[in-house]
This record gives sequence, C-alpha cells and structure tokens, in this order.
Amino acid sequence: MSDPAPDLPEAANRRFASGAFTSGLSVPDFAACVQMGLEPVGYVQGFCVMQWRWYGLNSPYSRGLSPYGGGGQGGYMESWQCPHGFVSAEHRSWGQNYEQSWVEDAWGHGFGTAYARMLEEAAAVGAHGVVGVVDTASRLGDLGVLEFHLRGTAVKVADTSGPPGGQPWTTYLAGQRLAKLIEAGYAPVAVAAAVSSVRVWAYCMTEYLLEGTNSSWGVQQAGAEITQVASAQMAARQIAREHVRSQLSGDSLHGAEMVVSEHELGQGDQEVQCVLRGNRVRRFKDFDPMPVPHPTVRLS
Amino acid sequence: MTDSSESLPEGLPEATSHRLAELEHGLFTSDLSVNEFLLIKEVGFHPLGFVMGSSIYHTGIQTRKWGQSQELTKLTEAMYNARELAMTRMEEEAAELGADGVVGVRLDVNYYEWGKDAAEFIAVGTAVKAESGVSHRNKLGKPFTSDLSGQDFWTLMQTGYIPQGLVMGTCVYHIAHRGLGQTLGSAGQNIELPNFTQALYEARELAMTRMQDEADQLDASGIVGVRLEEKSHQWGSHTIEFLSLGTAVVKTSGEVTLPTPTTIISLDN
Repeated sequence: MSDPAPDLPEAANRRFASGAFTSGLSVPDFAACVQMGLEPVGYVQGFCVMQWRWYGLNSPYSRGLSPYGGGGQGGYMESWQCPHGFVSAEHRSWGQNYEQSWVEDAWGHGFGTAYARMLEEAAAVGAHGVVGVVDTASRLGDLGVLEFHLRGTAVKVADTSGPPGGQPWTTYLAGQRLAKLIEAGYAPVAVAAAVSSVRVWAYCMTEYLLEGTNSSWGVQQAGAEITQVASAQMAARQIAREHVRSQLSGDSLHGAEMVVSEHELGQGDQEVQCVLRGNRVRRFKDFDPMPVPHPTVRLS
Repeated sequence: MTDSSESLPEGLPEATSHRLAELEHGLFTSDLSVNEFLLIKEVGFHPLGFVMGSSIYHTGIQTRKWGQSQELTKLTEAMYNARELAMTRMEEEAAELGADGVVGVRLDVNYYEWGKDAAEFIAVGTAVKAESGVSHRNKLGKPFTSDLSGQDFWTLMQTGYIPQGLVMGTCVYHIAHRGLGQTLGSAGQNIELPNFTQALYEARELAMTRMQDEADQLDASGIVGVRLEEKSHQWGSHTIEFLSLGTAVVKTSGEVTLPTPTTIISLDN
C-alpha cells in the first residue's frame, strides 16, 4: 500500500488502509475478473460539483444581440432568416444554431476533474487499472449545481509484482465483455467521453413547426421537416464525435454509446446535448480466430 | 433440529412460532425462483424457509443549519439502527430454523399515511442450511446474510469465497443552501464548487467506511457487489441519505473451481 494521498478525505484513507477489499462489481463480473487474473482491491471514486446554469461568461450570444453575428466559439454556427418579409415584435425574423463551447468546456472540466480524482484513489491503492467504470452527472436538489461522479473497481494484475508504472488504465467494461475484448487482442487504455452542446434559437418557421401551428404564412406545410432542429441534432452528434476522436490519439474506440437529450430553456429556445462515451483500446496481440458460434438453447 | 417452540427468542410474534414450527416439519417456503432453487441445491444448500424481520422506527427530526453542509448524526443513527433491528430479527428467525445463512436478502423502507416521521424497515430473505451438516455460520456464530441471488451465490462459491454477512453503512447529510452572496460571487460561469465536492465526497466515504467497519468485524477478506444508494426519503431535497450496501465475503479454499469459460458470441444482442 502506498502512502495515503494527501487530499483524499480522512474516511477514504481509513477505508483503503483496512484489510478487506471492496468491489462494486456484480458477482458474475467479479468471478470473470478473478478468472482473468484481475484482483479487485477497492471501490474507487471521484467527484466534482460544478455550478451549472445555461449562460456562459463568454457568451455574447443572446437573442436580439447578434442576428447574423460572427461564428460561435466552437466553430459551428448557422443562421436562418425569415422568409416572410414582414417585421413585428412577436415575429422571430431570424434564428441561429451555435455550438456552446463554454458548456462543453465546463462539462469537460467537471468530468476530467472527477476522473483525475478517481485515478488518484486508484493510485493510492496501488491498482493497475479500474474496471466497470460508471459515470453520472446529476443535479443536486434546487441548487443549480451539477455533480459529476465517477466510480469503478480498482484491480491489480495478479501475476505482476511491484507497483504499476504510469497511470492506471480505465474501462467501462467489466466481466465477460472485458474478457472478450482481451481475447480479441485489445487492451483497455482509458475511458473516453465528451459532450457537445448546440443552442437553438428558433426563427419564425421553426417556431410554427414546433408548435404545430397550421399556418406558416403559405411558405411551408405543417408536417414538413424542421430543418433548424434537424440541423442542430446532426451538428451535435458530429461535434461529440470529433471531440472524442481528438482524445483517442491513434487508439480505437470500442463499445461507444451516444445519448442525445434536448433541454427546453424557454420559448423557441432549446439546447441539444449529446454525450458520447466509449473505451479507448489498443491492439496488443494478433487476433486469434474465435471458435465458430454454435446455436445454444437456453432454458430461461 | 432443536425443539424451539418453547425456547422462542423474545420479541418474535406468536404467529411466527406457529409458522416456524410448521417449517420444522419439513415443509419449506421460499421466494427463490426455480433456477435459484436448483443452483442452491447444487452447491449443497437446502432452503429452510422464508424469513423476515421488521422495525417501525420513528426517525425523528433534527435541526439543520441553513447554510452549512454537515452530517445529521441523529438521523444517521436512526436509519442505521432501524435497519439493524430488522436485520437482527430476520437473523433470529433464521437461527430459529437452524439455518446457516440467508440468501436473497432485500432491505426495504416503507412509509405509511398514519405515521409521520415514522418508517417501516423490512428485511426479507430465504434461510438456507448446508446439507452436509457442516456449519457455515459466520465468525459471530450467526447465520450469514447476503443479498446475492441464487445464481450469484453459486458463482461466488465457485470462486472460493463464501458470504459472511450483508454489510451496510449509512450517512444522512444536509447540503447547505447557497446564500445570495455566494451565488452572485460566481455568477456567470460554470465552475467547480469545491466545498460541495468535498461535502458529498465525505458523506459517501463515511457511508462506505462504516460498511467496511462492519466487514472488518466479520474478518471478511472483501466486500462484493457494493452499491451506493441515495435517497431523500421525506426530508426535502437538501437532506440526502447515502446508503452503502454489499456482501462481505471470506476466502476459504483458495481454489477457484469455476470452469474456464468458453467464449460464446451471442447472436441475440
């Protein structure tokens, strides 16, 4: 056991100093890890609580300020103009989609800090890696804060003696899925995750279509594609993919999972958020062909 | 098996002794599924009966400081003691049947209309006994408890570990409200709030350390299937109970009898 890390809570150091290991793995995953020669040493976690609101200090973009203004900070920006040609206070004569890079940066900071803290705990128990990582970002009550929480089970590779060199590797996988990955000749490197955030200020056409209004002053039929929102959805997915790709530095992404959500922030004002996570893996041996699968009938 | 109808532990209701007496005549009740039942038989255990324990507990109230994050020790104690009572009563029922352990334990909390600030804590599970007659009771001489399913129980036994007890730790924590000054001070940016990070981190670690202390009392070599649950119960959004649960296990033979897995690539996801 290495020396207690200085900025872990006192209770955490006491927990790690105790003789018994803790494992957050289910029993089948636990058995599979033992079988692979991975010994669970401790349940490790990291936290970061972030103030979380929808503005950004660096956000000059608010409605009415920048009708056709310069590009968004993250690069993606698209504008729409009213096709009707009349002006009224209620009529949204322009609309804009733009990447909210400050939201992405804040998310990256929260996730990254919680991740670094989890690694710190893993290093404190002398682990080679962390398996079965779970990450959540949840709101706490009505505080306007978002808590990033990462946890997983730190493991030691049974046959190697001495402390591990470098940073512990991490993976969302555990149990049989990890075993299959290794069997296929890949070693886990790290979890990879990124978010993209695209703000949608609706213009008149989008607003009519979102609200299901029949009349769009003769320009388009209700039931048509809402191009502005569709465009934002596409952009959010692409940006998230680029962000994760930039983290890979030559490795492959395995078992990627994409979660897209929309947040209504006001009338005709929404955010499209896309979280993409997966496992960075690296080939360490050639692929041995696996046995040809044969049908099995299960009685469950 | 001992004749227990006279030597019933204190505190178990009348109806219990009747039901337990019937169970001793060979009839067993169990909430195990057929698969679980077969797997438990396969590792040499026989189900004895469905056992339970409950405790209706007045959890009380505790004043919280509006702007301070702190542990609410009275509530923590109440939540812990109430579960402990329910668990102990369940263990007593199991001991009464001469069981070696209880599998598939579930711990629930129920609230009723008639009891404000009162909650019912229930522990239920299936008592099992080794067919070989060798005692599998834990270090404290009590039947082991575990929240493992029959499948998990079987798998765990194959890895050379046996369960010692369901261990838990809890911590009820009040999260500070934020004053106007604090809110304004960091307005305009999404930044880390380190004191919140620390408070929540500490709350969870306290719960986990308490769980670990229980495992140490059982001389466990580890805890598997650790879960961290968060509930606000009926206290409002700023008071959260962090509950950490897992099954303490001890290494026995040191031998893994789990057959080397064959890779199966499933065609249905």
